[in-house]
Amino acid sequence: MILAAIPGLYAQGPGKKATIRFRHASLRQAFTEVEKQFGLNFSYNEANIALYDKDINFLLKDATAGQVLDKIFAGSPLTWTLKGSLVVLTADPNYQKKPGAAHAASETITGSITDSETGEPLSGVTVSAGDRTVLTAMDGGYSLPLPAGSYSMTISHVGYTGRTMHGIEVSATTPTVINLILNKAGADLNEVVVVGYGRQSRKLLTSAISTVQNSEFNQGNFNSPAQLLQGKVAGLSIARSGDPNGVPSIILRGPSTLRPGAAQEPFYVIDEIPGADIRLVSPDDIANIEVLKDASATAIYGTRASNGVIMITTRKGRQAQTLVNYNSYVSMENVARRIHMMSATQLKAYLARNNLALDPSDDQGADTDWQDAITQTAVSMNHHVSLSGGSNNFTYNAAVNYFNSKGILKNTGLNRLIGRAGIEQRVLNNHLKLGMSVSTSTSNSDLLPDQSIVLYNMLRYLPTVPVKKGDGTYTENLQRVQYYNPVSLQNNAWQKLKNKTILLNGTAQVTLPLGFKYDLNLISQSGQDNSGTYYTSQYTLKTGTNGQAYRSSYESSKKMLETFLTYAQRAGDHDINVLGGYSWQEDVTGDGFQASNQNFPTDALGYTNIGLGSPIGNYRNDWGPNQYQKLRLISFYTRAKYSFRDRYLLQVSLRRDASSAFGANNRWATFPSASFAWRVIDESFLKSHSLFSDLKWRIGYGITGNSLGFDPLISKVQYTSVGAFYYNGTFVNAIGPSQNANPDLKWEKTAMFNTGVDLALLKGRVKASIEYYDKKTSDLIWYYPVSTIQYFVSTYTANVGSISNKGFELTIDASPVRNASFQWVSSLSLAHNKNKLVSLSNNIFKLDSIFEASPGGQGQTGSYVQIIKSGKPVGQFFTFSYAGRNAAGVSQFYDATDKITLAPRNFMDYRYAGNAQPKLQVGWGNTLTYKSFDLNIFVRTSLGAKVMDATLADLNRPVEVTNYNLPVFSTNESTKDISAYIYSNRYVEDASYLRLDNVTLGYSFPSLFKGMRGLRIYVSGNNLAILTGYRGIDPEVSLSGLTPPSGLTPGVDNKDYYPRTRAFLVGLNLDF
Amino acid sequence: MNRFHKYFSILAGTLFLSACTKTDVPVENELTPANILTTDAQFILAAGPAYTSLRGSYCNSYWQMQTLSTDEAILPSRAGGWYDGGRYQQMHYHNWTPDNPLVADTWTWGFSTISTCNRILDLFATSGDSPASTRAAAEIRTLRALMFYFMMDTYGNIPVPTSFGDTTKPARKSRTEVFNFIESEIKAVLPFLGSATDMTQYGRPNTFTAYTLLAKLYLNADVYTGKPRYNEVVTYCDSIIQSGKYSLATDFAKMFYPDNGPQMTEFIFAIPYDHAIAQGEQFNWYSLHPALQQKYGLSYRLSNPVSTIPSYYAQFDDSSDVRSSLWLTGKQYDFSGSPIIINTTRVGLDNTYSGSDGSTTVDYQLTFTPDVTLRDVAKFEAGGDELGKAKGFRNLKYYPDATATDRNQSNDVPIFRYADILLMKAEAILRGAGPTYNATALSLVNQLRTTRKAAPLSALSLDGMLKERALELNWENTRRIDLIRFGKYEDSWGYKTDVDPNKRIFPVPSGELILNPTLTQNPGY
Repeated sequence: MILAAIPGLYAQGPGKKATIRFRHASLRQAFTEVEKQFGLNFSYNEANIALYDKDINFLLKDATAGQVLDKIFAGSPLTWTLKGSLVVLTADPNYQKKPGAAHAASETITGSITDSETGEPLSGVTVSAGDRTVLTAMDGGYSLPLPAGSYSMTISHVGYTGRTMHGIEVSATTPTVINLILNKAGADLNEVVVVGYGRQSRKLLTSAISTVQNSEFNQGNFNSPAQLLQGKVAGLSIARSGDPNGVPSIILRGPSTLRPGAAQEPFYVIDEIPGADIRLVSPDDIANIEVLKDASATAIYGTRASNGVIMITTRKGRQAQTLVNYNSYVSMENVARRIHMMSATQLKAYLARNNLALDPSDDQGADTDWQDAITQTAVSMNHHVSLSGGSNNFTYNAAVNYFNSKGILKNTGLNRLIGRAGIEQRVLNNHLKLGMSVSTSTSNSDLLPDQSIVLYNMLRYLPTVPVKKGDGTYTENLQRVQYYNPVSLQNNAWQKLKNKTILLNGTAQVTLPLGFKYDLNLISQSGQDNSGTYYTSQYTLKTGTNGQAYRSSYESSKKMLETFLTYAQRAGDHDINVLGGYSWQEDVTGDGFQASNQNFPTDALGYTNIGLGSPIGNYRNDWGPNQYQKLRLISFYTRAKYSFRDRYLLQVSLRRDASSAFGANNRWATFPSASFAWRVIDESFLKSHSLFSDLKWRIGYGITGNSLGFDPLISKVQYTSVGAFYYNGTFVNAIGPSQNANPDLKWEKTAMFNTGVDLALLKGRVKASIEYYDKKTSDLIWYYPVSTIQYFVSTYTANVGSISNKGFELTIDASPVRNASFQWVSSLSLAHNKNKLVSLSNNIFKLDSIFEASPGGQGQTGSYVQIIKSGKPVGQFFTFSYAGRNAAGVSQFYDATDKITLAPRNFMDYRYAGNAQPKLQVGWGNTLTYKSFDLNIFVRTSLGAKVMDATLADLNRPVEVTNYNLPVFSTNESTKDISAYIYSNRYVEDASYLRLDNVTLGYSFPSLFKGMRGLRIYVSGNNLAILTGYRGIDPEVSLSGLTPPSGLTPGVDNKDYYPRTRAFLVGLNLDF
Repeated sequence: MNRFHKYFSILAGTLFLSACTKTDVPVENELTPANILTTDAQFILAAGPAYTSLRGSYCNSYWQMQTLSTDEAILPSRAGGWYDGGRYQQMHYHNWTPDNPLVADTWTWGFSTISTCNRILDLFATSGDSPASTRAAAEIRTLRALMFYFMMDTYGNIPVPTSFGDTTKPARKSRTEVFNFIESEIKAVLPFLGSATDMTQYGRPNTFTAYTLLAKLYLNADVYTGKPRYNEVVTYCDSIIQSGKYSLATDFAKMFYPDNGPQMTEFIFAIPYDHAIAQGEQFNWYSLHPALQQKYGLSYRLSNPVSTIPSYYAQFDDSSDVRSSLWLTGKQYDFSGSPIIINTTRVGLDNTYSGSDGSTTVDYQLTFTPDVTLRDVAKFEAGGDELGKAKGFRNLKYYPDATATDRNQSNDVPIFRYADILLMKAEAILRGAGPTYNATALSLVNQLRTTRKAAPLSALSLDGMLKERALELNWENTRRIDLIRFGKYEDSWGYKTDVDPNKRIFPVPSGELILNPTLTQNPGY
């Protein structure tokens, strides 16, 4: 038997097509061609292919691999089946064997090993099977004498990705020849996983890491790599509104902190650069993304790893392969879902029915749809050009991406230009590899100041008035609470934010004797944020200022040194890999200032000439908060992996981290982890089973930290200007403390237990991973209320309490249909998490619960809708209990003693009303390939979460129907209902949904001219349909909560939801 | 040479190791407590946070507690606005709970100002004795005594923390102990306070501030300790009167204009506000109807919730009294005499109108009506139609600030004012103290009334005394303790019928009881 395996071509699309021409080709020549064109490998028995005895002559244009294979084997005794990327050839048993086709040989495995890129033979490669190990000779050849039987064979070589093959039959009657091509380590992304300070074969992983390949990414108009993963990774929840400048909120395996915002974010590592800015990569630059989920995988990143690590690997140049690639799309987006507000006709009918009438100034015969008035169909586009290649010891890659995304709210948008270039040179006979790369990104954001007020008024502004009056001025009535013409707000203020980020990275890797390797990585990232905001003299939220301008300019920098030494040795059945490293990092943020001015002679210049203003009276320049901050992080880390026969795998890691942000008493902390995996499939008792083709059990435990989300001076007393006071005729700034010191402040600590099973069934047709985790976070950092009798300010940042998350994840990849012309690949990810706050106390502070989430609608200042309480999950709703309307039409509520009351009391009469955590989250993707067509359908669902629809509550003010428009929901509300708007369980809604997230249809053309490698065009639709009972704009609201948030309050829809979009894309991918 | 290499590598290694594990990052942009204090001006600047803290809630939650709990003002909701969990209606009905946010805000304001004073005094203590530090410390101790007075007056028994950073939780002291502490503090610092009354001292306590605080303490000594001390009221009022540094303002209205300040001859201790940089005074935003925005040239929307109660306004029965003119009542006109018209419909004017011609247009002249009748008593709802919005007479003591770009005004707000000195002395004499300097209670009150162009009284009763204080000191945070001292806090007004004397003292906020378990709740809560 001969088994030849050649690595797949880089990033094969599901519908890869090629033009193939054979002229008097042998079967082996045909194999080479098919391998090259389609990235497939062949598995066959030497005796069987001897049965194939004809020349191959044909030309097939625009053919799939299946079509080519069908053509090759038509009429031959051989049949082919596809297993993953392996074409397995079998012979018809009834076929008359040619005499002499099978001849006896010695009981050995022989073959040769060559480099995949250069084709050069590789010497000194370790080849082992059974208890025998040999090294390859100068010509790459080897011979392994073995008794007859079934073997697993392992090939390993320093700097190359090892391979293991199972079920190799050695018999006295058939010579077994295995010629193999080895990939340089990391080159074959299908097999190797980036694990942090190194790479590893997926097979040998001991921890929970999900990989999402470029070809599986969500297609769409995205500004952040996170969106590429939405729904693809079990346990990773991502929510984002339609705001082109919005940052998605991300939570991995349930909330494990009480702090919102950055404290929730996973840690990004881009090409081994920890903490690199995600604005530096465009989706087309990304080869794949790994999500490190459990602590045994993430602990190597210590303090920044509690929320998981997202590792982004970008495309690199390869030797002897010049590639030019152009990707582009144009998208059209509009509002996917709206709140149905009353039209003028509906409103008037409601008024008439209730014997009410609008004021004459509000009744101008118009029928304005304010949601239409401030939104638009947004056209966006993206262009990406990349080139890469290399010669013997040199590779390069370069790419330029231009992204221009308009918002569906008029005057909002984002455009971004990204440039990347990298080179890599091998010197000293491949012993030293030097790399340099530079990435730049320039983003221009158009933002709407006071966007939340615009969004609120687009809903409740009366439809009966026109946008503009007859004289061309905007309709206004400024005598009502928070009632502003949203179109006027939208057109009379603007903010432009420009960000420039540059990253320079130099790497060196030295291959040392005795299996040592040394890596040095020097990183410098700098960023510049320039912002300008202008409010015209007509801006109704700044009346009296006669034009108000702000400009700000802030710089940030990040300097990093990463250095580590790796030792890898394989001796017989033992494989050892040990790593030790050190990293040093210093970040500076907020290096800059802000200036402001007002009373401008004209609005025509906006903020561009800020010196033109003439401030009035005691006006003071607003210098903005002085945020110059410096943070230093220092780490030592080590990791050891040991595997016995690639069957019993053990990994331990230890990281010691220091951060200058923490209290002097607790700067250093240690984060250990240990994990073990057992490749059950390799045990002899499973050899006879045909059910499993892979089976592995993993178990791990580790501790990680979280220090994200606050400034570096968090543990120190901080002084700021606490306002001006009168002194001798003028007002001078008083300087006072703004923060309490806590020298004991330390990291939040997350201990996670994880166990999982990876299995493959039906010869790899079905692959599944099941994970169970138990995550406990202690020393929660929280802003604890303290008495100002003892402390400067009323909150104290301290480590208190603990939180628990337990859950299951299931991932299934299946290929139900796989034949020559039609393939169906289906992937399902399913996650369940149970979150519980265990305690809110430590030995000094004792607290059982605290009220959170105050949407603060009119008349409801001081009402809370959630409670953070031990024993309850984060996002526990705690609000009034609605008891219907009384005879007079007024809303009633239950009080604490179950009696009905008209005036429920805050705090005392609150009751539990479900929580914002989903019970089950499912993503289901299907890729269907038929001939040259490919179709991708992606569906997401979330079940069991609740959302407080504070938007609907605050809109539902039938008593004020003559002042503010009502939602259609209010049609049957009583105009006497003075309490209709009160937050209660009436507005806590089931936020379960089923969303048709993406449908993409693509067509791949054959090569149209010489040199062209492929062309694919596609159309794609995002957020095409949603099935939900939720009454608001969208049930998928922020996972973090209210802005500006005091604590973590997921699941509150509070009048500021930037509508989610429905998008249609047309795009193309062109390869040369 | 070899040895050199050895030592060099040890040295280099040590340097490398210490450099690569150094986590101390110098703070490069923040002030640290190490700043040296030397000059008068530096001490005053370092004391600044105490004054900004004082300004914080004096005209907000503290004013609301002191005023909405009396007949002086009422804050109903209108079409649901300003309901806010019933915090304002609880003030009116006297059924507030320890969860009421006003109760908590005022406590936090008071004790964090006290705490700020303690912190500043700690800082001063580290900078050695000098005339500058002694005087600055005396001012801060006076301010702290004033805050203890406010807190003791509002919450009864209170903790008395006098040092900063002590993490033992302070227990409450009895009202009498707090009274004695305040008295001894003021007397201790009196010799070190300045006596300037010009702008160099404006906004910070001087000797006369200390005298006034003592006079206030003694005037209410019977309430606080059960022992009247009226003679001492007269003593300290006389210290101020006889100094000749203060006199009654010739123009009462102008005293409260947005441009008031150190030139006000009546202001003994005032909080300087500025609409742009020293914010916190928003009385007109609370009191004025949105339709008046144009008349007063205001560039912000008026919110309209606060009115007075008819029985309170009824005291302003002397139309020649300038103090009667600072109210908005009845039909409203602009400065040219044209009526202020609101263009609405019959149902817009009165949403209980049931005629079929409800949508007929009506030109309604804004007319403030005296009664604040509630449409829905449980929700404290006065109605959101035009008639509802015009319920209740409006206070116009702090004249609207047309230069303001938002609801904040520049009118300085007096805490202690010379007129109150005359009234306190008069009341003390009326209650039995010996007259001094040929002044009787009646002559003192008439001195004030004459200046205010009110007809002199021929006799003075306790009721007359209380009335005079209402005429003079409305919107100045004194009505609650006045009603208590005159035994009228349990009377009925508006919709309030509560007669529980426990309500003379507010509860300890529920949050504070959790944070400091050594605190105990006041009786009746």
